[in-house]
Amino acid sequence: MKISNLIAMLMLAVLASAPALAHHSAVQFDFQNTVLVEGKVVQVRFANPHMHLVLAVSDAKGAREITFEGHSRNNMSRQGLTPNLFKVGDTITIRIAPMRNGADGGYVTAVRGPDGTEVGRVTAAD
Amino acid sequence: MENMKKISATLAALALLSACQPATDAPTTVADAAPAAATAAVPDFSGAWTTYRNAAAAGAFTAPAGGPKLTAAAQAAVADYQSVTQGTDYSPGNACVGGGMPSSMLGSGGYPMEIIQRPEQLFVIYEAHSEMRRMFIDDEAQDPSQFFPERNGYSRAHWEGQRLIVETVNLKTQVDTRYPHSSQATIREEYYFDTPQPDGTPVLAADLTLTDPLWLEEPFTITKRWQAMADYHVKSYECAEPKWLDELIALYEAKGLTMVQE
Repeated sequence: MKISNLIAMLMLAVLASAPALAHHSAVQFDFQNTVLVEGKVVQVRFANPHMHLVLAVSDAKGAREITFEGHSRNNMSRQGLTPNLFKVGDTITIRIAPMRNGADGGYVTAVRGPDGTEVGRVTAAD
Repeated sequence: MENMKKISATLAALALLSACQPATDAPTTVADAAPAAATAAVPDFSGAWTTYRNAAAAGAFTAPAGGPKLTAAAQAAVADYQSVTQGTDYSPGNACVGGGMPSSMLGSGGYPMEIIQRPEQLFVIYEAHSEMRRMFIDDEAQDPSQFFPERNGYSRAHWEGQRLIVETVNLKTQVDTRYPHSSQATIREEYYFDTPQPDGTPVLAADLTLTDPLWLEEPFTITKRWQAMADYHVKSYECAEPKWLDELIALYEAKGLTMVQE
């Protein structure tokens, strides 16, 4: 293979793997790990550019409200999210990419509603 | 013998003329025939388009190594932009501002693009940030100098055979993009159907050239590909409402009131 062709292919691979849209840095989230969190929905806003979710959680650290971030409403819709998956007051389980510093919160990668329906296959922030 | 040749030639000409006649169910008036002729002569790019994926062939992008070669002035402007935004959450997307050309076009796919094609224009909607472009064809285009510059500019188009050529001007100077450019930049796009996917899924391609006498050492050319999506229409991308609601709710709370939201 010619060097020029190799360089062109490498460039192509770099460009092809570049995220189409990055709204802000997501270095604080650890996408190599997944944590399950169960809680009662206090507030949810399926919005663009990012989803905003507050759960009332009770675990070994105690009872408290935790705020999570997630994909845009449009991208989650393409992954199966519908307006009736859950509502405020429901108890749901979410998968998150946890905070690297161990703090509460994280990036929602999947949501399981009260009826067991799970949507989301997020592998990186959008 | 000479006469026989003339008769044969005449018969051949009549046969050819006959073959060119419209079929019996063809439109019989000019008014009926015109739209069909206009749409049949060029390809129809209408539909929703997402990121092209084909491991065995060229990817969604084909570009020369190195990317755009910025002039010193451009490099300084970009460095300043990065110095004030790096490490912050400030970005056009986070502020609900669209990417502008050429980012709006080159970035489309994950957030799909939908084309609505009419004889006199292509209406292009990029789902991300609901960016909209109109590519005015031939006489439908007006003098761009009548319009204020915009991040997506003003686009005039024409057909060359099976390809749509689009020239975009009236751009704004942008440092907040992967493709920095000055207001003097122009963009040429050439849209065409590329080799379909093995399963027959249509593939749309566009060769894009960004030229900028102030910010680029040389024109930057890149080929972008999309593949068709079945049964999809781009969704609206409401982005500013949450910020507005937060501000409105704060106004209510300052007055000791609760805003009705349900």
